[in-house]
Amino acid sequence: MQRVYRLAALLVVVALVISACGGQQAAAPAVAPTQAPAPKATEAPKPAATQAPAATQAPAAKATEAPKATEAPKATEAPKAAAPSGEPIKIGIAVAQTSNVALFGQEQVQGAQIAEDLLNKAGGINGRPVKLVYQDTAGDEAGAINAFNTLMNNDKVVAIVGPTLSQQAFAADPIADKAGVPVIGPSNTAVGIAEIGDYIARISAPVTAVAPNAVRAALAANPNAKRVAVFYAQNDAFSKSETVVFQRTVTDTLKLELATVQTHQTTDTDFTTQVTNGIAAKPDMVIISGLAADSGNLVKQLRELGFKGPIVGGNGLNTPNLFPVCKAQCDGIFVAQAYSPEATSAVNQTFVTAFKAKFQKDPGQFSGQSYTAVQVIVEALKALDQKTKLDTLDLAKQRSELNKQILVGTYDTPLGKISFTDKGDIKQEAFYTAQIKMNSDGNTGRFVFLK
Amino acid sequence: MNPTLLAQQILNGLAIGSVYAIFALGYTLVFSILRIINFSHGAVFTLGAYFTYLLTGSAINPNGQLARLFGGLFGQPALPLKLPFILALLGGAALAGLMGIVIERLAFRPLRERGADPLLALVSSLGVAVALVNLIQYFFGAELYSYPANPFGALPAAINFSGEGGPPIIVRTIQVIIFGVSMVLVVLLTLFINRTKTGKALRAVSEDPITSSLLGIDTDRLILVTFFLSSFLGGIAGALIGLSVSIAGPYFGIAFGLKGLAVIILGGLGDIPGAVLGGLVIGLGEAFVPAQYVAYKDAVAFALLFIVLLARPQGLLGRALVQKV
Amino acid sequence: MAAFINTYGFLITSMVLAAALGLSLYLPLMAGQLSLASPGFYALGGYIAAVMSTRLFPSTDGTYPLPLVLLEMLVAAVASGVLALIVGLPALRLRGIYLALATIAFVEILRVLSLNLPILGGAVGIFGIPQPFKSQVEYLWIALPLLLLAMFFVYRLENIRMGRAFVAIREDELAADAVGINPTYAKVLAFTLGAILAGVVGAVSAHFLNTWNARQGTFDASVNYLAFVLIGGSRTFVGPVVGGMALTALPELLRAAAGIDGLPSWLALFLREGRLILFGLLIAIGTVFFPQGLITPNLLRRWFGRRRATKSPPLPDKHVTQE
Repeated sequence: MQRVYRLAALLVVVALVISACGGQQAAAPAVAPTQAPAPKATEAPKPAATQAPAATQAPAAKATEAPKATEAPKATEAPKAAAPSGEPIKIGIAVAQTSNVALFGQEQVQGAQIAEDLLNKAGGINGRPVKLVYQDTAGDEAGAINAFNTLMNNDKVVAIVGPTLSQQAFAADPIADKAGVPVIGPSNTAVGIAEIGDYIARISAPVTAVAPNAVRAALAANPNAKRVAVFYAQNDAFSKSETVVFQRTVTDTLKLELATVQTHQTTDTDFTTQVTNGIAAKPDMVIISGLAADSGNLVKQLRELGFKGPIVGGNGLNTPNLFPVCKAQCDGIFVAQAYSPEATSAVNQTFVTAFKAKFQKDPGQFSGQSYTAVQVIVEALKALDQKTKLDTLDLAKQRSELNKQILVGTYDTPLGKISFTDKGDIKQEAFYTAQIKMNSDGNTGRFVFLK
Repeated sequence: MNPTLLAQQILNGLAIGSVYAIFALGYTLVFSILRIINFSHGAVFTLGAYFTYLLTGSAINPNGQLARLFGGLFGQPALPLKLPFILALLGGAALAGLMGIVIERLAFRPLRERGADPLLALVSSLGVAVALVNLIQYFFGAELYSYPANPFGALPAAINFSGEGGPPIIVRTIQVIIFGVSMVLVVLLTLFINRTKTGKALRAVSEDPITSSLLGIDTDRLILVTFFLSSFLGGIAGALIGLSVSIAGPYFGIAFGLKGLAVIILGGLGDIPGAVLGGLVIGLGEAFVPAQYVAYKDAVAFALLFIVLLARPQGLLGRALVQKV
Repeated sequence: MAAFINTYGFLITSMVLAAALGLSLYLPLMAGQLSLASPGFYALGGYIAAVMSTRLFPSTDGTYPLPLVLLEMLVAAVASGVLALIVGLPALRLRGIYLALATIAFVEILRVLSLNLPILGGAVGIFGIPQPFKSQVEYLWIALPLLLLAMFFVYRLENIRMGRAFVAIREDELAADAVGINPTYAKVLAFTLGAILAGVVGAVSAHFLNTWNARQGTFDASVNYLAFVLIGGSRTFVGPVVGGMALTALPELLRAAAGIDGLPSWLALFLREGRLILFGLLIAIGTVFFPQGLITPNLLRRWFGRRRATKSPPLPDKHVTQE
């Protein structure tokens, strides 16, 4: 008995120590953006306390480039932009920060953090700062609903960006719609999301638009390909919808032969069975719809077991997370992209530069999409504020007016120029096809534009 | 089915099965001695993979708190040492083993001392698993990690098992290694339990803990040994499977946990060679799912399990109502 | 108050539904049978409601008629009961952990099947399930009577012949057999009752969650429900009710704790990011400190002895309302 208490006490102490050191260091990135750069420049004494860890921690972490990359520009640029002041306007971010979907949610948080940072630097909403409120949805439906409810009623946000999965969107979005809170889905691609209700929009392109281009690109590079093997993750909503488009493109549009269709689960790691089946069907080309870990392993195992033809990846493969999995064997995959960090528009380059400075890597599609979702809401708020001052409206009115404004605007975003249909579906002009080019170290690579 | 394809599918089945088997080895060890299912085994497996990753001196992504900690301590988001993969593997497994000891002390011993229902150990180990997985995410982030390439020197990526000129029968090299390691481990483990003094004492504890402690066997220490070994094996499995398919985030091992259960039951709960046999049987079953029904592949393990349970409730190698190791 | 209901109405209802799911696992456990099949029947019930309400009775606009929900619950109950008989008769020959694993296998097989049946919508599942109520908290109109009914039923069951037969089997199956109890009959009955309850809860949950998919009936859910029962206490029906409510509320309580004003920023941040680390530790610690579960028959006896009039179950519920 005695021992149990001692253990429990020890446990609590350990937990506290962990949280204490972890927490303080974590405070740097999480607090810094919300603190906004401008106040730092203007009212120096007070933020010093909260910013101190950031200042000491950052240079240590990135010994050489830290000062020039993150600290210096803020200090010099801040006075130029109008310093956002007053009561911040709150936008909710409800994505999966825990659970086995966290890989995506984490990237979405990163994109949103950069958005908060950059948009506040640019003056916020006509001088009022934007504050993002994060609530973790975890990976399940109930978690998404709880996060939405907390954001809408407790945190009193004007709009919500989230959730991560389509299945979660089908659960939580109707509730936000009923409550009259605008929602922008950053990564919900299933058919029927925008149709949930008037308040639901998304900036993730439905699969039909993105997928076929990559097959065409692969075919252009390999004109003799006739037989196609298709692989997809059957327990993933996105991949399941995408493969239908791929298969239709193969048989109906391009008149190729569908040699075999093999399914797997996103949690699978061994694809020997599927790969053997696939290779036995003697395909000239392989098309994969899946997520990073499973697709990476599938590619790797296809290559190691002797498949030499071209591989086309769906939009789920448009992530640098693929690289550590298939390494050098990722090289040459054709990928359908809804977002490319290589897009040359000014807004995208600003985003990519800021993202790289903070996270030492290129942003993936999930980051680009969450950035865009926040940007759309902020720009719509700005436009609304110019028409009717926001503080003259109550929260319900702010939300409903914002929703109307979101749908009528056009936005120049990292995803390209976008606008919305009446239902709230994205109208995106630019889709990309890229080919993966791995660096010689075999661990890093990039998505090279094909056109 | 032509002979080449048949041979290929058999080798595939063994390759898939050896992954299940190596995961299940440590899992089944704890069950065989203590008759409890340790749900945190999957998390310890994952931890072993991450520890090994750290010891190879590879970098942590900025999302993990460790990146900041290491950045502060060493000026880089990685440990300042670069062990060769084999050493890192053993070191990582040893650390996982120590973690096993901590878990035993925290979640299992207090329950055992009170003579609580063994089912409760299942729930407390579940709690530990949830905490561990989320701790891993806190410290490492949710990203995928992979070990430095070519840890065994310039081995070919795959080995062709067919004769000269015949149609190729190819197996990935890493899978051959995993198969070999799992066979070696099962032999060593069986020898350890049947031939050494500690092993015999372990069997005595598993037969009757009270009598064996009366006979002067230090039950408590032996249980710690069991947990250390189990977690050590889990760590080895984690690092090797991580080498084969990369470390797919904090939930990496949890994905194996469910099938691992099927594996140890199929072979005879708590029977160590049985776990390997169970793994190989499920692997072969999955390899022989016809191409057009591959969507049902995941149900194979459980359909097999269901049928075997109904026909032979004691498992393939188990003997009814006889306690064994 | 209104803000509280808006924020936590969904949570409160899901706590009630979780309590019922805990009971569905408790029922076979009463007869000593460790069955983890509840999520399978829960998923089945949900799919039945989802298919019926989106295909059979394509809803006119506005609210979905409540009688149809009750009809779906009935169909779910019948289907779950029949399936439970089919699975239970062979499976319940198994004991202890073997039965548990056979039921896990059953859940997993159902999950793979449901991913592959086109009518169930594959991975996306079925969405746009029509709503009989205007808000999620109003689901209490169904969930609460369902839970109370189930609790009353189990309470009565514990005091009649069949219930005592269950307990006799739990304590010693051979002895029970010897005194003239038919163990197979009793075990299959307990299993089927649990399955029916899980199926009915599933039917309600499909509407409640707006959508239904293969992720609802998984191994993780099996283990969660088991934790409901064992953390709450497996020796009285109040245990799983309390356990289901407490474990469902806990992650949200930790979320709320992170939002409390005036916390040091590092603590708030840790509560937010490490919410589930604490959740896991609390499960482990809870098990270690309360090996009998939070609620034991002795505890209840003491309560009932002192203050007969007070209702015993909603203890953690009260705790939540204070937050």
